[in-house]
Amino acid sequence: MAPSAAAADSSPPSSPETTENRLQPFFVLHEASSRKPERTSTGTVKTRKKIDFSPSKLKNVEKPDVEIAKEGGDEGYGNLRMDAFEVVWSKIESTIKDVLRDINANVFNEIHQWVRDSFSTIRSFGMLTFREATQAFPIVTDASSKQLFTGLVLTKNMEFVDDLLTFEELGRHLKSQGCHVANLSSLDFTAKSGIGGCLRSLLRQFLVAPLDAADISILASWYREQGNYNNPVVVIVDDIERCCGSVLSDFILMFSEWVLKIPVILIMGVTTTLDAPRNILPSNVLQRLCPCMFTLGTPSERMDAIIEAVLVRQCSGFSISHKVAVFMRNYFVRQDGTITSFIRALKIACSQHFSMEPLSIILKGFFLEEDRQGLQDGLLLQAMFKHAFDLPSYGRNKMGEENVGSFAHCLSELKRSQTEWRTVVLCLYEAGKGDRIQLLDLLCEALNPALYSSRTSGTFTKVDKGHGVSPSNNFPVQQHPIMRKGRLICQAVQKVRDLPIAQLYKLLKRWEELTVDINEIHAKLKELLSVIKLENGRSSRQDMADSSKRPVSRSQLNIEKESRAVNEKAASLIECMVRDYMQPVECSPLHEIVCFKNVETLQLALIGDPRRRIQIDLLESYKILRCSCCSRSGHSLLPSLHDTSILYNLAQEHGDHINLHDWYQSFKSKVCSSRSKGKHKSKQSPLPKKRKDMNEPDKPCEASIQARFCKAVTELQITGLIRMPTKRRPDFVQRVAFGL
Amino acid sequence: MELNDGEEEEFGFSRNYFLAKDLAASGKKSTHKLSDINLVDEQELRAAASNIEPKHEKEIVSLIDSYKSLYSRWVFMLRCGFGLLMYGFGSKKALLEDFASTALTEYSVVVINGYLQSINIKQVVITLAEVLWNQCKSKRKTPSRNLPRAQQPFNSRSMDDLFAFLDGSELKENDYFVCVVIHNIDGPGLRDSETQQHLGRIASCSHIRMIASIDHVNAPLLWDKKMVHTQFNWHWYHVPTFAPYKVEGMFFPLILAHGSSAQTAKTAAIVLQSLTPNAQSVFKILAEYQLSHPDEEGMPIDTLYATSRERFLVSSQVTLNSHLTEFKDHELVKTRRHSDGQDCFYIPLASEALEKLLSEINQ
Repeated sequence: MAPSAAAADSSPPSSPETTENRLQPFFVLHEASSRKPERTSTGTVKTRKKIDFSPSKLKNVEKPDVEIAKEGGDEGYGNLRMDAFEVVWSKIESTIKDVLRDINANVFNEIHQWVRDSFSTIRSFGMLTFREATQAFPIVTDASSKQLFTGLVLTKNMEFVDDLLTFEELGRHLKSQGCHVANLSSLDFTAKSGIGGCLRSLLRQFLVAPLDAADISILASWYREQGNYNNPVVVIVDDIERCCGSVLSDFILMFSEWVLKIPVILIMGVTTTLDAPRNILPSNVLQRLCPCMFTLGTPSERMDAIIEAVLVRQCSGFSISHKVAVFMRNYFVRQDGTITSFIRALKIACSQHFSMEPLSIILKGFFLEEDRQGLQDGLLLQAMFKHAFDLPSYGRNKMGEENVGSFAHCLSELKRSQTEWRTVVLCLYEAGKGDRIQLLDLLCEALNPALYSSRTSGTFTKVDKGHGVSPSNNFPVQQHPIMRKGRLICQAVQKVRDLPIAQLYKLLKRWEELTVDINEIHAKLKELLSVIKLENGRSSRQDMADSSKRPVSRSQLNIEKESRAVNEKAASLIECMVRDYMQPVECSPLHEIVCFKNVETLQLALIGDPRRRIQIDLLESYKILRCSCCSRSGHSLLPSLHDTSILYNLAQEHGDHINLHDWYQSFKSKVCSSRSKGKHKSKQSPLPKKRKDMNEPDKPCEASIQARFCKAVTELQITGLIRMPTKRRPDFVQRVAFGL
Repeated sequence: MELNDGEEEEFGFSRNYFLAKDLAASGKKSTHKLSDINLVDEQELRAAASNIEPKHEKEIVSLIDSYKSLYSRWVFMLRCGFGLLMYGFGSKKALLEDFASTALTEYSVVVINGYLQSINIKQVVITLAEVLWNQCKSKRKTPSRNLPRAQQPFNSRSMDDLFAFLDGSELKENDYFVCVVIHNIDGPGLRDSETQQHLGRIASCSHIRMIASIDHVNAPLLWDKKMVHTQFNWHWYHVPTFAPYKVEGMFFPLILAHGSSAQTAKTAAIVLQSLTPNAQSVFKILAEYQLSHPDEEGMPIDTLYATSRERFLVSSQVTLNSHLTEFKDHELVKTRRHSDGQDCFYIPLASEALEKLLSEINQ
């Protein structure tokens, strides 16, 4: 194969070679041309001008995109957006990393402490003499010295994807504390590569220089020589359940023999229960382990922390619309359940935002308070303003004349309303924490523009119960129209009502911290807090804390009544905050600049559904091809359809096995009906036939129909929609997909 | 509400399945045989198959053209670090190569033809490393610290080293990568899980971006979540083209071909490799004859014997016959009557497949 590849390398990718290239397993299409400055982007620009975006997929929002691209120059403009994306995304990414690190910090420290303790225990078995240490075989003093300290880390997560990152981080953490760390994955413990595979991987990681021989004594001598002697060797296996049991057993047995020379401490990820090691390891191996257990945070905890840091708190300025948020929540809850996939979805959303929204480049300078050099280009600026004033949200909230001043004003308004929104959501989240309200759910509600408009339009005047078809029927707050829908917001407010005074005080304190930026609210909070302080002063004498255990006295009742009043005040404060300050991003003019709304493209990019879509392609090919000949009739199959499409449509009439003969006959009659009916179309000129050209030109000859049938079957086979006949049933193919 | 949709969908799915089962059970099972069709001769069938007149040519061209407007977005997504995964009915080979050669000119592009039967993934990785290395060299004057790396040729390094190079931290610049176009990443040559693991590792390297196509409806089952989310990092694109699967279908047997004894180049190669070198050489004579005389019915046995004897492959007619019997048993070779009444032998494979087979056993 090598020579053929080399041949392909040398050959320039011109047309005569293409047929040859088809049969090469791989080839170099072209090497990188000279770099960016003289990039020949004419090709793309030309096509952009020439071809209209297909109207179904792209809304008119995109049109200015092309204009701007033309005016500002495709290349420079694309790079601007790319830069902006990189700035924004790296901000988000680093924020996420920090959040995850903070969440894991406690466990990591715990693990590190345990590693140190275990190491000193191993050391306490006695130092080796020089002679002992340099021998190329293990030392065993007594049974207890054959124990291998093993940390079992419960990940509480069936999906190990999220934990890959955690274990990487753990490795980094321990490394920074001076341990020698190697991360092994379950791929290193396969039956195929055996024990040699994991040893080699260990040697690679510790010795850095690649070695061919996989011998544990090399590792021992490395440990002795390098002045590594005062630090433990930590081996992290991320997912024990996916390892090959026998290889892992060998690994443990071997290292337990060597533990005095190489003080290995194992850390293994366990996704299911503590039984896992017992299930995959034999008892003689289990005896060698000296286990200790650690537990990581649950995915939903991590999720909430990430949402808070990235989407609720001020992070990059990038935000998502209600629909996108709902989609992402559903994707997380129902489809995948991994943080990794959620972050990926967010990244796709973010990159799509920058690739589709021309004004997104503002995001870079606008929220991150960086230089706005991108906006210095006059031509570009012009185009951008023009585009901005075309945005639907701008037209909706007619803001007077269209000039730079109003544009800037709008932007700062947007920024302000976003800040207020963040604050209120955080306050609600704080309030709902006791009720286990997930921030992701709360976010979806807080972003809902329909809820917001129903809140603001309904004001405080009167309750109209007709509208009250809300999931929150049981809540007394239902009377307040501002809370008409929004189950979680209601729940959070209700929680504020029910909170005991001490906790309410704490909550208000938190709110006070959160609302420093909104003066009015801040002042009101101060007022409320002083009231509580007063009461606290009074009640401290009577020891409010365990009042429930005592007989209720008169003064007690009084105090309770008063505290009720305080609760009520706090609740109405948060209600008012929700009404006046929690304006979802989609309700602001120019929100398109910061907010990603296109849920359809996100969904398409994230969840390819080949099984369904390829079938639809076939069943409704005329819709995609948009030809004039096939779309005429609604349901009957026209012979002018794509052959494979005809065949697959015919297949729908069969059971799970398709008789080839019948299938062929119906295909033939379909195809031939064209000749009798649709002669005038002249779409299909008579086939050029090599051999039997004497047939009447109208009727396709048997051979060509059979060939077309064969080809269509082959194509269905490539798509995996049918299975070929077996020896047992030579006359039937098997259908694979039923329904879409 | 959405939950109900999901359930409805699932319900619909199972209902469809049982309906299909039902249909099969209730309706009198068709007992028609494939042989009831008046099957044409295989040669003729193949000839007709290579001359099928395409339908909707105009529409297909304009459909594929319409994707050109998306090229700049695709490049954007690539630069953002995603892999592009193209699916939808129709061959996407031309589309991907057009994309690569018009929009990715500033990056090196390596194409893998996943529809072929066997692909040596290590060779691919070596080539990728070489291409990346060239790209680095042309980028800046070779830094001296990198010289020792160059001295050790890539093809003697281990996979891990190669991956480390492709993931290399010594090339700091971010927007600096080699594109790998994979036609049919779900194809027969790449379908096994080990290869997919390797591809995943390739895709996760920081200096590699992947653009792949799939055709099989169940292709996503090839990947676990780790591969999907952390390695391939796919950005899906639905790009049906309805272009004929010309190359992709080359190695599939024609279902109506005589006897429909799923004879492919692959099975033939496997059978041949189990035979003696002399038998293989006899087969080669036959194959070469067939390639050089595409219009003849086959090779007369006398000619075959004479040539084989000349090359000291057989010493007698008996030996030749035993070879031929073996071939016939494995359906590598068939006989038919020549116009002058003589039996002659031919290999029931298209000439392209035959060439591939020859190159395979010549290795």
